[in-house]
Amino acid sequence: MDPVLERVIVEAAVKIALVFFVVLTTVAYMTWVERRVSAWIQDRRGPNRVGPFGLLQPLADGIKFLFKEEITPPHVYRPVYLLAPILILVPALLTISVVPFGPALRLFGRDVPLRVADVDNGVLIILAFASMGVYGIALAGWSSNNKYSLMGGLRSSAQLISYELAMGLAIVGILMSAGSLRLSDVVARQAEHGWNVLWQLPGFVVFLTAAFAETNRLPFDLPEAETELVAGYHTEYSGMRFSMFYMAEYANMVTASCLAATLYLGGYHVPGLQRLGLPQNAAAIVQLLAFGIKVAFFLFVYVWVRWTIPRFRYDQLMNLGWKVLLPVALVHIVWVAFIVLMGWA
Amino acid sequence: MHLLIGLIAVVVVFALLRAFLPGRTGLPVLFLLIAGATLVVLERADLLRIEFWAGSVAFVAILSALLIVLHPNPMVSVLFLIVNLFCIAVFYLMLQAQFLAALQVIVYAGAIMVLFVFVVMLLNLKAEEGLHLGGGAQRGLALALGAAFAGLMLWAIKTRREPPYFAPSSFAGGFGTAREVGALLFAKYLFAFEAASILLVAAMVGAVILAKRKLE
Amino acid sequence: MMHVEFFLIIAALLFSIGCVGVLIRRNAIVILMCIELMLNAVNLTFVAFAAEGQAMTGHIFVFFVMTVAAAEAAVGLAIVIAFFRRRRSTDVDDASLMRW
Repeated sequence: MDPVLERVIVEAAVKIALVFFVVLTTVAYMTWVERRVSAWIQDRRGPNRVGPFGLLQPLADGIKFLFKEEITPPHVYRPVYLLAPILILVPALLTISVVPFGPALRLFGRDVPLRVADVDNGVLIILAFASMGVYGIALAGWSSNNKYSLMGGLRSSAQLISYELAMGLAIVGILMSAGSLRLSDVVARQAEHGWNVLWQLPGFVVFLTAAFAETNRLPFDLPEAETELVAGYHTEYSGMRFSMFYMAEYANMVTASCLAATLYLGGYHVPGLQRLGLPQNAAAIVQLLAFGIKVAFFLFVYVWVRWTIPRFRYDQLMNLGWKVLLPVALVHIVWVAFIVLMGWA
Repeated sequence: MHLLIGLIAVVVVFALLRAFLPGRTGLPVLFLLIAGATLVVLERADLLRIEFWAGSVAFVAILSALLIVLHPNPMVSVLFLIVNLFCIAVFYLMLQAQFLAALQVIVYAGAIMVLFVFVVMLLNLKAEEGLHLGGGAQRGLALALGAAFAGLMLWAIKTRREPPYFAPSSFAGGFGTAREVGALLFAKYLFAFEAASILLVAAMVGAVILAKRKLE
Repeated sequence: MMHVEFFLIIAALLFSIGCVGVLIRRNAIVILMCIELMLNAVNLTFVAFAAEGQAMTGHIFVFFVMTVAAAEAAVGLAIVIAFFRRRRSTDVDDASLMRW
């Protein structure tokens, strides 16, 4: 095969495998983080028996799910029932493909950029896959042929599309300041002019709230809470398929945290790293670690908010999305446009 | 040589999957098919030309379009339309329309089709028993009209003047990007843009009023 | 290198399939979906010609067609819902009250 093509394919395949592995491990260990941090907030111990500090707990949970009996109720619409968990997980993982994890690493005499794909319209790809995430939930609710699942699926999809709007508008503020749809340009601009969170605070708050709603996490998790609607759209799922829903929720959280870190907190940029004058590879590793720390911070905020704030009622939720976040995002756009036009950015 | 190693690896993984997931034949067979197909395609590099991909996407697009019309369950028709819209987004990418491809997924496959899914879920539509596709005369006439129309369009395509081949390098830099679309949209087509926004407001108000249970 | 006629032929076939679907199916929602299919075929034709003639006008046309399609789908579905509430059926043959 053509050696250039072969090298490109091998490079892409290795990067994809690495990102996949890292994201899935993060998703598995988020369950551990969730349980330990919630225990810390609630002044008790979390899992600490399985392995040191309970670190092997996700492994035990995974094995448990594998061995659980998978009951497929006879009244479900099978093709869509089996497809729905996949449809939730895939968009979350696909969005990670455009996030820049770090600058270029110098390997084998070549600059290997630390991202899977750097497309011209990376931000649009993110919005596109965020909109595709609605289908898994709606179809899981519909195919279960069950009143509670249908209501849960409908409510959840309505919530998702409402907050998608606010999220998109908050991102428009970022686009105006960066002047490009490419995510690496967004990071480069923040490296030069300061992190976006400093002067786009309303947009940041809107984005973070919308991200909470998009991932169906508390305080917006009415569609899947145990005390409401039995278990919402994943009532009829058991065993490995149920765990796919769980994994998909955490994968969505990881994606949203990566996006928040890239769009508002400067991505892999470390202020003041230029002055240290490190060699290229060392600087790249430091920036990669900085990105990881930012993402970890947002994941901690996710868990923190979940165990601190009570959940919204459904009408309060829709009220917040349409009557509060949307106007705030619109005013924010006008504000950012004014700043960019005046040249103060 | 690579092909041989690859095939051995695939067979080994297949055996392992069969051993560890007893009774589940679907997953290992699927893996075998996908891995085998990937290996064959990678080995025969001439198959990686764009015609191969365009042809397979076109096949999926037309197949899904046929299934929209023929499948009795409306929700499944919606799913096939989503697949079709994705195929068209891929065609846009092949035609250097990157902004439109993303827009197609965001607007069409991600918003309009969600609306269709909502309505099918709200009205709780079941599969139609015995899909009576119109009466006998109506069905025959519809097929004849469709065939005639397709024939007319294909003849029109065939008898156009010899077109120039286009190669990606002959595109001006930035063709099809958001920047170019924006430059045209806000300058030359500004009136149409504003009119479209008024149209959307009218449609929103109309849809809300039409779907209300009762007007107070 | 791709012939632009390839895309034109695909668009023509999709349009005819959508056309036949509108004429054959009786479920109002499926008819609306076939209309969307026809609109998409037209969009594909526009983009194909824009690529051949190196003009961005085709893309602008597609932008507006998408906008109008969204508005039309929303209103059409609202009409279907309102009709369903009265007649408990999405069959267009049941919309016969004003037939002579």
